[in-house]
Amino acid sequence: MKCADLQSDVLVDLVDGRLDPAVQREVERHLEACPECRALVTDLRSIRASAFMLDRREPPMTTWIQLRDKIGAEPRPSARVLMLPTRHNWPVWLGAAAALILATVIGLLPLMNRNAAAPPSVVNEPAQPEVTVESVAAEFEAAEQHYQKAIDDLQTIANKDTGELDPQVAAVLQKNLSVIDQAISESRAALKTQPTNTNAQDGLFDALRTKVALLQQTVELINEMRKGNQAEAGRRFQTLSQ
Amino acid sequence: MAPSNPSGDVRNADLELVGRIRSGDGSAFEALYRQHATRLYNLASRMMGAKGDADDLLQDIFLLAYRKLGSFRGESSLGTWLYRLAMNHCLDVLRNRQTRMGQQTDSLDEPDAQPVASPVPLVGAVSRIDLERAIESLPPACRAAFLLHDVEGFGHQEVGTMLGISEGTSKSQVHKARMRIRSYLAHGLVKES
Repeated sequence: MKCADLQSDVLVDLVDGRLDPAVQREVERHLEACPECRALVTDLRSIRASAFMLDRREPPMTTWIQLRDKIGAEPRPSARVLMLPTRHNWPVWLGAAAALILATVIGLLPLMNRNAAAPPSVVNEPAQPEVTVESVAAEFEAAEQHYQKAIDDLQTIANKDTGELDPQVAAVLQKNLSVIDQAISESRAALKTQPTNTNAQDGLFDALRTKVALLQQTVELINEMRKGNQAEAGRRFQTLSQ
Repeated sequence: MAPSNPSGDVRNADLELVGRIRSGDGSAFEALYRQHATRLYNLASRMMGAKGDADDLLQDIFLLAYRKLGSFRGESSLGTWLYRLAMNHCLDVLRNRQTRMGQQTDSLDEPDAQPVASPVPLVGAVSRIDLERAIESLPPACRAAFLLHDVEGFGHQEVGTMLGISEGTSKSQVHKARMRIRSYLAHGLVKES
């Protein structure tokens, strides 16, 4: 493999951890021999990991209150095409005719609703959000995958470079990771028996977040050591040891 | 968040929630807001950059969603549908803003046309503030793909569905964004040609 073979499609899959294993081995061999490509891949991985770690701000409470007032002044959303049967087996001309009728009806619906609908009662009264078990489970599963993806990426970077760490630092890191992995396993086991238990969910997220933070700190420590910044590396090691 | 092709359970849950909103259940729309507001707020905020008003934009997105809920058919998850609507709205606002300023926007479906000069390696952790600035300097199309994929963690297929582009174009846009960010972090702001 040559530098020119590291095109955008290969690089993006490599950084995302989705490269075919055989191609990945070839790429890794090339990276070992090519400092420029190695630096590029390290930077792209670092950018991806840092992007995932960006702060998340909550919208102000006033945003919902103002939105609720605006929604209160709106007519209810109409049903439109929600209940239509599938049209896969219809003749083409019938589909086209139906589409034309549908477009006409959709065009009329807002007018029909404006005349027929009762004054909107939506979200004028303060109410607790009611979320279904299925939607919570789906949200939770996606959030967990989100964290796991970040952990996998950071782990790849950390695994690749932990050879550069002092054995004492590596031992501390390994010990901390073992404790966190144990917490993750226990939280997952608790969630298996009680999938909707919010304490178990929070526990798992806390453990995943801690692992992401620890791996991120490890990568930063390695970077400081590479720069020869012993003072900063020492400070980061102290943080890691806590 | 649910995948772009929802399972039966997710689809049923989405359709049930939409049905409740349509029937005037006061808590259902608030539930939808609580589920997605934080992520959409951060997305909108980063899409618009320092000059944008994320509060107003978030309200506009949910107002638009409320008006269009009647057209939701459950072909994708409600979350994917909502993100698509949100990103389209953000891109529209950006296009209007740039048209007023006489600038041209890039096309979402355009492959990586502008090569980025090879920068020096970053050699170090990426500062959060620098990264935020670098993201703000990206062209809107690849900023959208980067935010959805690298910041929010959606897969390329979902990003493609949300932005109305192919999975391959999503990969290309995300790669373009990462390369530009690397260049920005190494050299500072790279002017758009």
